[in-house]
Amino acid sequence: MIQLSYLDYSAVERKSFLHRFSPRAKLAGMGLVLLGIVTLRSVPALFALYVILLLLFFLSRVPMKIFPLTFYPLIFAVLFIFISRFQIHFILLVFLKVLCGSTGVVLLLATTPYPSIFSILGRFLPSLFVVALFLTYRSIFILLNVLEETQHALYFRGGIQWRHPWRSLINISNAFGHLIIKGIDASEKMYESMVLRGFENKIHYRGD
Amino acid sequence: MSHIHLPDGVLPVWLWVAGFIGAILAGVILSKFYKREDLSKRLPLLGMMAAAMVLGASVEIVPIAYHVNLTVISGILLGPSLIFLATLVVNVILALFGHGGITVIGLNTLTLSLEGVLGYFVFHLFWRIFKKLSIAIFLATFLALFASTLSMIGVVSLGTSHYEELIHQGEGRGVFEFKLLKEKEDHQKREGAEEEVNLKRFITILLPLSFLGWLLEGVITLFIVRYIHRLRPDLLRLGGKPS
Repeated sequence: MIQLSYLDYSAVERKSFLHRFSPRAKLAGMGLVLLGIVTLRSVPALFALYVILLLLFFLSRVPMKIFPLTFYPLIFAVLFIFISRFQIHFILLVFLKVLCGSTGVVLLLATTPYPSIFSILGRFLPSLFVVALFLTYRSIFILLNVLEETQHALYFRGGIQWRHPWRSLINISNAFGHLIIKGIDASEKMYESMVLRGFENKIHYRGD
Repeated sequence: MSHIHLPDGVLPVWLWVAGFIGAILAGVILSKFYKREDLSKRLPLLGMMAAAMVLGASVEIVPIAYHVNLTVISGILLGPSLIFLATLVVNVILALFGHGGITVIGLNTLTLSLEGVLGYFVFHLFWRIFKKLSIAIFLATFLALFASTLSMIGVVSLGTSHYEELIHQGEGRGVFEFKLLKEKEDHQKREGAEEEVNLKRFITILLPLSFLGWLLEGVITLFIVRYIHRLRPDLLRLGGKPS
């Protein structure tokens, strides 16, 4: 999740042909990828889709640092191979579907700034939901900042030591508690300043 | 582990469509309980708790394939109606990072909000009975995670016939024929289709790992709530003094 800020940086600062595409076209493209994932049931076809997504990933010059993010969902997909009798076809099918989905969404987020995505979603989803989505996304960055400070505090209190698991568990939990309280304070301040600037439970985007 | 980590295209269409319909219905019903003014004031808290859930979900405890959900603590802080909106937001953001499919957002929202709502009510029930914060929070977390994991297993088991269909895809259907291990598959097919999908094995592996996760999350939630109670007891909205 630390890579999230980097993902955001890549979406705003990088300039490639995919970055210049309209967010609407990219969302439509993601919809097509999704349709492919849902309907394709052949391993070579899914593999071809994955290769196309990989090509787009490298052609759009998205930083390589972000690439491992696309493999993260595989950790959980491993559990679902136990449903089948370890059949290669099923395992490949599930893994390719996971990789296509994660590569597609990471590519979308790495080339499209999130306000652009939220503004499109805001056209057909309830404004309350889009506001909640926006506040959550903003809060993730606030929490990441608080997390950096908390890591230092955690280090001074002994940090995480495998020899003292109970102490470590208390430290981790206190860090989470601290993170939540500090985060709530920070988000309340952010919300108050939004209200001062005229926010009334709806986010307006440029061009609205 | 109550979050369904299935990619898109593995669950049958009727199941994930039903998940979206169920989530929309639940959202419409729960939105009747929102008080407009109260909602505006609690939006920052909702955003922050949803962000904490997203961060919790990104910290993977690899040996047991588990991540903390923080849904119960969020349910307690937000209340049963707002936790639904929070879990919906969390699932959309997680799906945008490839953590669970986009088509399973509806089912995941129902499962996770069940955890949050159940956690809220069980916590308040045990709080009234025991008047001890530690016992109430640990039991609420443990039971809520247990219930939501069972509901997740239920959802996964509903797609059994579809998994069988996917397993047999290599037998001449699809864009290109995929013949790897075809002979073996033919042999297995003769043995009986129901043996192909082994839910028992899946549950046998999942439940012990989940049990460790429930214990771990129960303890972590306990300490977090105790920490919050020391510094901001107003957030927990509890009556009486805990021990």
